[in-house]
Amino acid sequence: MDETSVASRLIHTKARTLKISFEEQVLDLLPRMRRFAAGLTGHPADGDDLCQMTIERVLTSQDKWQEGTRLDSWMYRIMRNLWIDETRSRSRRSQTFVAEDAGLGIGGEGAQEATVELSNVDRAMQKLPEDQREAVLLVMVEGYAYKEAAEIVGCPVGTLNSRLVRGRDALMAMLEDAA
Amino acid sequence: MSNTDITQEELAAWADGEISGARALFIKAAVANDSGLQAQVEAHRALKDRLSAHFAPIAEQPVPDRLADLLRPKDAEVVDFAAAKTRLEEKRRLPRWSWIAGPALAASLALAVFLPRTGDDVPGDPYAGTQLAAALDTQLVADQDASADTRILLSFQNNGGEFCRAYAGSEAGGIACRDDTGWRIETMGSGSETGRTEFRQAGAAQIMAAAQDMAAGDALDADAEAAAREAGWQAD
Repeated sequence: MDETSVASRLIHTKARTLKISFEEQVLDLLPRMRRFAAGLTGHPADGDDLCQMTIERVLTSQDKWQEGTRLDSWMYRIMRNLWIDETRSRSRRSQTFVAEDAGLGIGGEGAQEATVELSNVDRAMQKLPEDQREAVLLVMVEGYAYKEAAEIVGCPVGTLNSRLVRGRDALMAMLEDAA
Repeated sequence: MSNTDITQEELAAWADGEISGARALFIKAAVANDSGLQAQVEAHRALKDRLSAHFAPIAEQPVPDRLADLLRPKDAEVVDFAAAKTRLEEKRRLPRWSWIAGPALAASLALAVFLPRTGDDVPGDPYAGTQLAAALDTQLVADQDASADTRILLSFQNNGGEFCRAYAGSEAGGIACRDDTGWRIETMGSGSETGRTEFRQAGAAQIMAAAQDMAAGDALDADAEAAAREAGWQAD
């Protein structure tokens, strides 16, 4: 067997093993992806649609993911970009997506008080501008460091920091009013 | 330096553990001595806790099957071709053509199939056109360009010893086998009004199923595929 065919066999074998573990890795990240998607879209069902789009995109572009880099950040970035595209086309279609008072209740069933309080959070989140909402979600819910969150969003760390603070302040004001 | 030098952004960053070194110590001391700053830090952390708790239940729920399934069975069969073929043979319940008409077929996908040629009932030209033929002639599974219009899914030999290649493009895919005339298209699926993603998902799986039925053995590995290309896809 000459060198070229050895190399090509290695590449081939590697591609096969990679593909298996790649899909398993994506599967492992799905619970977190669903959480982020529900936060972005404001609704679990819309979130799962966004997840589905993300998975499809991730599978068709998996050769663009560089092994050794974080798969989660890459997938979050894909999801976030898909959502931005989606919101742009929604607003072109004149935004009738989720009525503000539609039952959101992301937390699912619970005590009556809990449901009300969860809805307040959902409503407040949905009133934030997209850039502030994603900053709040990535740092305060997903637990990313500012630098990682900034890379997912594609902005400087300082910008991420200030969006986070503005989003946080707006949320606190809205939740205080609602309380 | 006074406490007023500490911006809202910096205070938030400190509360999130983003600041280290001397500056972190300075802010820590300032917060300890300023009830106003303390209250801000507490509010920041309280909101973080509240949001985390709010969204936590979603990540604890089981992932719906419709999402997990995208990552589970079909593609695994594609990868482990031989095992999938064995499994298929062991528990084959349906005649080979039934998946075409069967209700399990994705409703959005229009599939036309050219089964072993009888000559008179094959509509249109059964041979691949120039562009497709070029891809079939030259592309190898192992090293094809990811952005290629047509991707070769795998290569194999059929019962007659001919080299066959399963391929998928943005709008259509199928299986073509090389005979003396050219690349004879055996099975073809085409996306209808659906987007390409749906096609890739549903169509490619159907094509793989058909390939598994047609193949006489395992799919060619990279070496065997390269050798077959070298030989012009002519069987011995």
